[in-house]
Parts: sequence; C-alpha cells; structure tokens
Amino acid sequence: MRRAFLGEFEEIILLVVAACPTEAYGVNVWEDVQQQTGRAITMSAVHTTLYRLEEKGYLSSVLGGATAERGGRRKRFFTLTALGVRALQDIQAVRDRLWHAIPQDKFQLIVG
Amino acid sequence: MTNGTNPPHPNRRTAAPQWADRLLTWCCAPHLLEDVQGDLHEVFQKRLTQVGPAKARREFVVAVLYHLTPFFVRRKKTVLRPGQYPSPSSLNPDMLRNYITIALRTLAHNKAYSVINIVGLSIGLAAAMLIILYTKDEVSYDRFHANVPRLYRITSRELSSAGKVENRQGNTGLLQGPKFAASVPEIQSFVRYKEDRHDMKLGTDIVSQTVFVADTSFFSVFTFPLLSGNPRTALQQPHSVVISEEMAMKQFGTIDALGKTISFKLAFGNGEAFEPYTVMGVAQQTPLNSSIRFDVLMPMVVTAQEMTNPENWFNIFENTFVLLTPGANLQAVEAKMNQIYRADAASAIKMMAEKFSFKSKVEYALQPFTAMHLSQDLRADNGLVGGSNPLFSYILTGIALFILLIACINFVNLTVARSLKRAKEIGVRKVVGSGQLQLTVQFLGESFLLCFGAFVLALVLVQLVLPTFNLLANKSLALAYLFDARLVLGYVALFLLTGLLAGFYPALVLSRYNPVQTLYNRVSLSGKNYLQQSLVVVQFALASFLVIATLTIYSQFNYLTTKNLGYDDKDVVSIEKSGLTRREAKLLRDELLKNPNIVGVAPKNGGQWGTVAKVNGGTEINFTYETIDPTYLPLLKIPVRQGRNFSPDFPADSTQSVLVNERFVKQAGWKNPIGQPVDFWYNKGEKYTVVGVVKDHHFNGLSQEIGPQLFTTKPGNQYGKAFIKIRPNTASASLQHIERTFKRLFPINPYAFSFVDEDNLKRYEAEAKWKQIMLFGAILTIFISCIGLFGLATLSAERRTKEIGIRKVLGASVTSIIQLLSSDFLKLVVLSFVVAFPAAWYAMRQWLQNYPYRIDISVWTFVIAALLALLIAFATVSFQSIRTALTNPIRSLRSE
Repeated sequence: MRRAFLGEFEEIILLVVAACPTEAYGVNVWEDVQQQTGRAITMSAVHTTLYRLEEKGYLSSVLGGATAERGGRRKRFFTLTALGVRALQDIQAVRDRLWHAIPQDKFQLIVG
Repeated sequence: MTNGTNPPHPNRRTAAPQWADRLLTWCCAPHLLEDVQGDLHEVFQKRLTQVGPAKARREFVVAVLYHLTPFFVRRKKTVLRPGQYPSPSSLNPDMLRNYITIALRTLAHNKAYSVINIVGLSIGLAAAMLIILYTKDEVSYDRFHANVPRLYRITSRELSSAGKVENRQGNTGLLQGPKFAASVPEIQSFVRYKEDRHDMKLGTDIVSQTVFVADTSFFSVFTFPLLSGNPRTALQQPHSVVISEEMAMKQFGTIDALGKTISFKLAFGNGEAFEPYTVMGVAQQTPLNSSIRFDVLMPMVVTAQEMTNPENWFNIFENTFVLLTPGANLQAVEAKMNQIYRADAASAIKMMAEKFSFKSKVEYALQPFTAMHLSQDLRADNGLVGGSNPLFSYILTGIALFILLIACINFVNLTVARSLKRAKEIGVRKVVGSGQLQLTVQFLGESFLLCFGAFVLALVLVQLVLPTFNLLANKSLALAYLFDARLVLGYVALFLLTGLLAGFYPALVLSRYNPVQTLYNRVSLSGKNYLQQSLVVVQFALASFLVIATLTIYSQFNYLTTKNLGYDDKDVVSIEKSGLTRREAKLLRDELLKNPNIVGVAPKNGGQWGTVAKVNGGTEINFTYETIDPTYLPLLKIPVRQGRNFSPDFPADSTQSVLVNERFVKQAGWKNPIGQPVDFWYNKGEKYTVVGVVKDHHFNGLSQEIGPQLFTTKPGNQYGKAFIKIRPNTASASLQHIERTFKRLFPINPYAFSFVDEDNLKRYEAEAKWKQIMLFGAILTIFISCIGLFGLATLSAERRTKEIGIRKVLGASVTSIIQLLSSDFLKLVVLSFVVAFPAAWYAMRQWLQNYPYRIDISVWTFVIAALLALLIAFATVSFQSIRTALTNPIRSLRSE
C-alpha cells in the first residue's frame, strides 16, 4: 500500500474526528479544532478538509440527525475508515520512531 | 443546542440573512448543500445566544462568503449509484440526434406537405428579398458621393403677390451658381451641369452624341473616380473632354485614351466644322444608381458678357449644385442667397415686370442632392437621369410585404395543422420522461430548421432570378446588396419570428397537455379553428385584391394604347434635323416624293414649344405653340372643325393667320372663334387672326389633358423635324429611300428615324412596368395562397378520413363528398371577397384619378376576379378531395 500522505491540518481534523466522543459532523469538529489548537479557523476550511478526506478514503459519511435549529437539514456524520485509522497509526509510528531517536539530553541542552 | 432563555424563532432580526442564505443555495453544489447549510445555520443559532443577532448575522455572511470557493461551487460529476438513473439534458447529443431523425422522418413521411411548406415560404421570402433589393437601390440613389450630406441643388419657387407658391423650379441659369458662391461664405464650391447634343465622329460615321457640360470643380465636388487624368485639371482647358470607359472603348478600343483626340461639332448649322477635343481623363463607368451619368463630359465655357447680363437670372436651363462647408446652417445660407439675388438682379426683375409683366416673386432654396431622385415637384431632369416615382417603391414594398405575410401565414398554418397530428408523439414522449423544456426545444428547433432551409432556398432562388429581374426593372442589382447590417438584422428578426410562430403551438401549447389527455382522447383538438380560417380569408382577400388591381391596370393600359388619339399615327415616320430651313424643307419634300411609296411630308418645329399670348384684349393664355406647314393637318388627318386650314392660296397666312384647337376656343370663351385676334404683345406688332379651329387631339398622349394649342406658319420659326407618311407595308423600302435622301441632302447631320405610333406607345412605359409588376405580384400571391389552401385541404381530408369512410359505407356519393370537403374552403374564399372588393374598388378609383382619360371600373372586373379566385381555389381543393372521395372505405376504416 502506498504510504499515506497527510497535511498537518488534515491530520488534525482526522485526529479530532477520531477523538470526538459523540458523532462527528461539521460544527463540532470545527469547535473542537479551534479549542484544541487555539487557532481561529473558518468553517469552510473545516468543510473542505472533511470532504477531501472523504474523497481520499480516510473518512466515510452518512446523513442524519436533522434538528430544528438547522432548519430541518440533516448533518453529515463522519467516521474514520480503516484506511484512516491506518494512516493515523502510520504517522504516529513514524513520529514515535523519531521521538525515540532523539538523544536523551539534547532538548535539555538546547532549552537549557 | 438547547437554551431556554432564547428559543429560536423565525424573526427577521433573529433569522439568518436571507440573501446570504439564497446565495449559498444558488452557488453551493447540490450534493454539499444540505449539510453545509445546516452546519452554518446551527452555528448561527448558537452565536445568536452568545453574541447577539447583529454579530451572528455578520458572522453568518462571512462564513457564507468563505464557502464561495470553487471547491463548493463546482458541481459533482454524477457517479451513478445502483438504483439511480441519469437525467440527461435536452441538448444531450443523443437526444439531438433523435430530434433530427424524427424531424427528417416527419418531413419524409409527408413529402407533399414538406415541399409545399418549404417552397411556399422560400418563394415568399425570395420575392420579398428581390423587392427589398429594388427599393434599397432606389433609396441608395446618389448616395455614393463622399460629400453627400453637404451637396445641394439650387432650386427656386415663384410666389404670387399673395405669397402663394405658383411654381417650383429645379433648374437654374448661368448666374446663380457663381454669384451665390462668390458672396455666401458657406458655399464652398458650385458646379453647373447641363446636357447638350453634339455631332461626334466615331470612326467614319457621324453620330449625335449626348454631351454633358460642367464646371471645372465637377470632379472635386462629386465622387466620380478617374481611371487616368488629373481630376483637378481635367476640365480646365476649353478644348478638353473627359470620357467614360465605355466611350473610350468605343472610340479607341482601349481605355488608355489619355491625350488622344475626338472630333466634335459644337455649334448648330451647317457651316461649322468639326474640331478636335483632347481627352483629359477617362472616368470609371458611372454607377447605375446615379442621377448624373455621363459618357462625354466637357468644360463649361461661359463668356464674360453672358456673366454680366442680369437677364440671365431668368434664363433657366441647367442644374447648379453647391457644396456647403461642414456645419453650415441651411436656412441662413438660403436667406443669404435670396439677399444676393434681390440685390444683384434688381434691374432684371424690373425689366421682367415691364417686358413680360412677370410679377411673381422668385425665392431660391436648396434641395438635398439625394432628394432629387424621388422628388415629384423638383424632379431630376435636364441632364439628370433616372428620376423615379417613390410611389413605385411604396407599392412594391406593399406587395412584398403582402407576399411575405401570406407565405409566413401558410408556413405557420401548415406547421401548426401538422403538429396536431403529432399530439400522440408528444404524449408518448412525456410518458417516457420528456420534460416540457425538452419538447419545447425539440419543436422550436424543428421549425427553425425548416425555416432555415426555406431561407437558404430563398437565397438560391434570388440568385437565380436576379438576371431576369434586373432586365425587367432596368437595374443592376446584386445579392451583395442584401448584406447590409440593418437588412440582415431584419432578416434575422423575420427568421426568428416565423420560426417562433410556426413552432409556438406544438412547442408551447401541445407540450403542456397532460399526456393522458393526448393519448387517450385520440386528438380532440380538431374543432373549429378560427385562426386558420381567418388566415385563409386574409390570403384570398389579398389575392383577389391583386387580381382586381391587375385587371384594372390592364384595361387602363389597353385603353391608353388603343384609344383613338384624334390623329392618324399609322405609317408615319418622324425624322429630326435641327435648323431645317424652309428651303431645305421644300427640297426634302421634293426629293422624297420622287418615290411613290412616300405619300406626304410635313415639317414641324422640333421638340415642344409653349408660349403665351393675349386674347380678348387682355386675357393671357398659355398654349402649345406649333409651327407647321399647310400639309401638316391633312397628313395626320386632323380635321378642321370651323374655318379653313392654312393654304398657299392665302399668301398672307404666314404672317397674319393662326389656327387654334377647340380647347383654346373654350378657354378664350369665344362664341365665334373665326376672326378673333391673338396678340403676342411682347413682340411689337405681332398680331394674328384665327382662321380655323382644329379638332382637339391628344398631341401629348393620354396621361395629360389636352391643352390649348395654336398653329402658325410664321417664317421666323425654324422647323426641327418632319413627319413622312408612307404607303402601308412599305416600311423597309421607304425607310431606305428616306435615309438615302437625307444623307445626300444633309451629309453632316446625324440621321435617326422613329415611327410615330411606336413613339406614342413609349409614353406608356411606366404603365407597362406597372402592368408587369402587378401581374407578377398577383400570380405570386395566388400561387402562394393556393399552396396554403392545398396544404390545409390535405390536412382536413386526412383528418376526416374515417368520417368519409363511414359516409361512403352508408351510401354517400363521390360528388357529395367532394362537395362536403370543398364547400368549407369555398365559403372562406367567398368571405374574403367581402373584404377585398370594397378595398380594391377604392384603391383602383384612387389610382385612376391620376389619368385625365380613364376607364370606368366595371362590374365585370369583380365578377372575373371572383370567378377566377373561386375556380383556382376549387381546383386546388378538389384535387385533394377527389382523391379522398375515391378512396376505398375499407382502407380508411380498417386501421385503428
């Protein structure tokens, strides 16, 4: 299998969806991303990324859960696919390997 | 989100901004819209409670705007999931192919109908195009000059002392041009232009050539390109000449004629000799739509003496054109011109009043150069050619519109009628999922396709008949004339309109019907169709109007050409010889009469003279002044009613006696005409006594009323031509003798002859043209109407196939069925007469008012027109009805 390539923001979104305790859809993903990163992010950026990830096969979605404040429109709930899970794990593995490769005292030397 | 304090409710302040919401709905791709919009609304509601409506609304707008990126706007390519079906657009190539196949199949299935439909429309269009070409040519007359907006002709009007316009004059004399140009700064330059006839050597022959004389500025004022020679100097030297390409070819066999010489004899009389003129320029052939058309052009030579003689203000015989400076005020220029005239011509005006008791006031005015061609009271004459009656163009345009209207009506009518039969197709198409838009596109497209075919065919037709048409109309039109922005626009509009009207019914009305209706009810749409019926009435009204017009014009023409003119013009040859002296006339007669084929010779003045004299002591009478010879009246068999003819037995006749015609007597109010004096008061002592009264005869043709006429044999008046009566059926022998004699006696004069009766026929060329045009229009209109009627009859017969089958089974005869099918249409044709006859009667009466001698409109004209229309309509309809009536009922009833 081809190595997954994920951008930083895509990775964050994917992680947020994975971490979401309830079903993840546009609004709560957006809120979580802002909360977790402390950055101001537009809704359209979140939407774009979610759909891109779905197109790439990391996420899948179903429609459902219409509420009154949405004007009766359904939400699109995103869940991680197996591919998405593996991509996150791959990235995590790479990072772990690299973290372990850092000599023990190096950070202390730099930070002082 | 649930928040008890501020529940969301649809309020203008607490609702998301509608425009932004709409924008999103419109822009965002459908597959993303629902959840994106939902998310935005959810956030908006949340923010409403957190930050208040104003900020929330602002944020909503911003969020929407952020969503207007290509990612959201781009529509998703439909990836069909199982259970989903494509809904292709109505312009999908497969569907287009289907439409074209069906269209062609429908055409091929009904060949007669298709041919009628397309050919009918294209004939109508072609006729309209031809006529538009013609009228456009008329309107484009003289417009090719670069200076056109600033070009004018000097004209004048005579005002009576009461200020009433008595006479308008398009011609001027030698003085007007130069005098006005010298003192009115706005007049940039002037050109005097006049026509002469001079003898010219052409090889060894001598021909009488029309020569035009103009000022040096001619080529700078007008746009007549020279092939060789300098336009500035070409007309500067007195003995120079500019000739046309054609004349150069005739004279020298090459257009490279610069510097060569041509011999002309300018002065009249026999003593003058030919003089050489040097070709200073060869001009491109003048366009046919030009009032100025010259083959030979010479510089105008005016002596200083002529220019200083103020009497020349009233000596009017030529056209003067002026070129104004840009932006000149016309009224101001005219006012200045009149000022100059009053100052400069003061002495001449006084002299005119004294000598001729000419008391009218003359005012000068300017006529736009391009207005001359179609002007009726200020005509293009005296060297200007082609003057035309705008009525021609109007009536032609009228006919063109008639024909076009009928053709379009037919096209629409037939297409609509045909489409009724296709209701079933529309039903089936709807059942298998066609939308209304799709049907509209299909049927409109089909009618546009047909229309397009007709247009192309029309262009081909125009190209084919153009040579014949040019011959008939005496024009040189080309199809390229049609490619004018406005005309093309007009045609495109016509195309769209016709296509739209024809396709409108099936495309917009039938396609709206519920498929169940059209499929189940077996087309109940064929009821009384008032639209179609009234269209038939209109067509036949137009056709019978034109038939009546044609018949009337034919009989008026016939009347004009066959009515007894009051004199005998059979076997009379007219020859011209300028300055024919009494001695020469006698010599000519003696020599000609040596041949037994020559019955008589009567000399007469050339052209037509008119003058004025006083009768009853003071009354002035204007009359035609004929200088004749005692043999003139007997030769033409013009009877003398009272008194006697001139006679050699009364030698004093030539100086004392005149003859007058009956009209003269009537106008003078004489009871006893014989012995009455006629006073030519402006020539001292010239007084005559009437010795005879001549019966009125149409010396000017029938389009003019007979006016007063006076005959004299005064020796001071020169003859200009001679009438020679020959024995019947000896034309060629006599003509040979006449020509030989003439050439022997007058070797240096050009010889030309004509038959008087043929000349008389030529007067009615305009009427002959009308006749042709009306006949052409009537035939086309009838033809196109018939095409339409035939199509409708076919459709009606088809529609009633089953009915006729049943009728036949129950015992109806062929005759009764033909009657059944034809009577409907014939009724409509009869109805059309009710409209057409009064209109035609009125129009023809108006037209005939133009002729002082005219026919009465006879009832027979209407009877014939009615019979003709009925006969043609019946023949057209019965062709189809007989066929239907003869069909075996088994065939029509068998199939369901």
